[in-house]
Amino acid sequence: MNRIEFMRQLERLLQNIPEAERAEALQYYNDYFDDAGVESEKEVIDALGNPAKVAENIKRDLYGDEAVQSSVKHPPMKYQDISNTQQQKEKKKVEGGLFAHIGAWYEGLPDWGQVLAIVGLVLLSPAILGIASGLIGTLISIVVAWFSLILGFGVASLVLLAILFALVIAGIACIAEAPFGALALAGAGLLCGGIGLLLLMLTVAMIGIVTPAIFRGIVSLCRKIFGKKEVTA
Amino acid sequence: MVFNTGAALLDAIVLAVVSKEPEGTYGYKITQDVRKVIELSESTLYPVLRRLLKDECLEVYDMECGGRNRRYYKVTSRGWAQLQLYESEWREYAAKVTSLFEGQERN
Repeated sequence: MNRIEFMRQLERLLQNIPEAERAEALQYYNDYFDDAGVESEKEVIDALGNPAKVAENIKRDLYGDEAVQSSVKHPPMKYQDISNTQQQKEKKKVEGGLFAHIGAWYEGLPDWGQVLAIVGLVLLSPAILGIASGLIGTLISIVVAWFSLILGFGVASLVLLAILFALVIAGIACIAEAPFGALALAGAGLLCGGIGLLLLMLTVAMIGIVTPAIFRGIVSLCRKIFGKKEVTA
Repeated sequence: MVFNTGAALLDAIVLAVVSKEPEGTYGYKITQDVRKVIELSESTLYPVLRRLLKDECLEVYDMECGGRNRRYYKVTSRGWAQLQLYESEWREYAAKVTSLFEGQERN
């Protein structure tokens, strides 16, 4: 394997990490080869091992011990922590979602505090359940209302467009007998058609632009509440 | 060497190596310098540098060198503070282990 093959394989293996991370890593190893010099290309490849191992090291650092979530992440690998009182303190720092924060807060409580928290939770559970189901119900009804609105606009635009054709055809039919009446009919038809087109555009925008944005908003809200889930596209 | 290098110690060594170059230094050289001190597989260093960058202990800048851009790593003020912490922790740790070993010898 030569340098070009190595880099190509590495790039392929890093397809599923964020673009910026991939570019950084590839630049690092490109620099590495450049600095090692052409004459030691083979040595470098031998020393780095196969691209799969290099890619694995990078991904492990990116996604590895997500559970620990300390601000200093460590690849588990063959390294064992020796002297790190400072890191143990940092392990308490949680970066997850709302639940993770509540979890960390709960862990930090003294024993009696934990008992009190659980008792309080049990006593309040009817209220909590009520509020939660209310919120979920509201959310669902908003979504349903939104889609009904889209449906309404869509149907209205189609009807208006149909009226356009009907009036224009009617106008053409009676153009010989009553030219001015025919023009008025056709004009009214075009007016309806214009409004119909506007509504149609509005409907398309609502489906194509606003709806995805709303769903993205909901998803990110959920992610904030339930903690970050790794997305490996 | 029979002793494993922990992640924190590895961070400390890399920080120390980079801190020796006030103008900053580059990936290949850092790897070679670290390997003078500890055994280390060459593919391990990039994640360490990335981590230190993310934690703002290091910063990078690109400088033209031989017709191409080379990426330089430099210790930030936060990195210096971290390095000092590592050094004092290390001294404490090493002193304890040493005194244990020497105490046993006398027995």
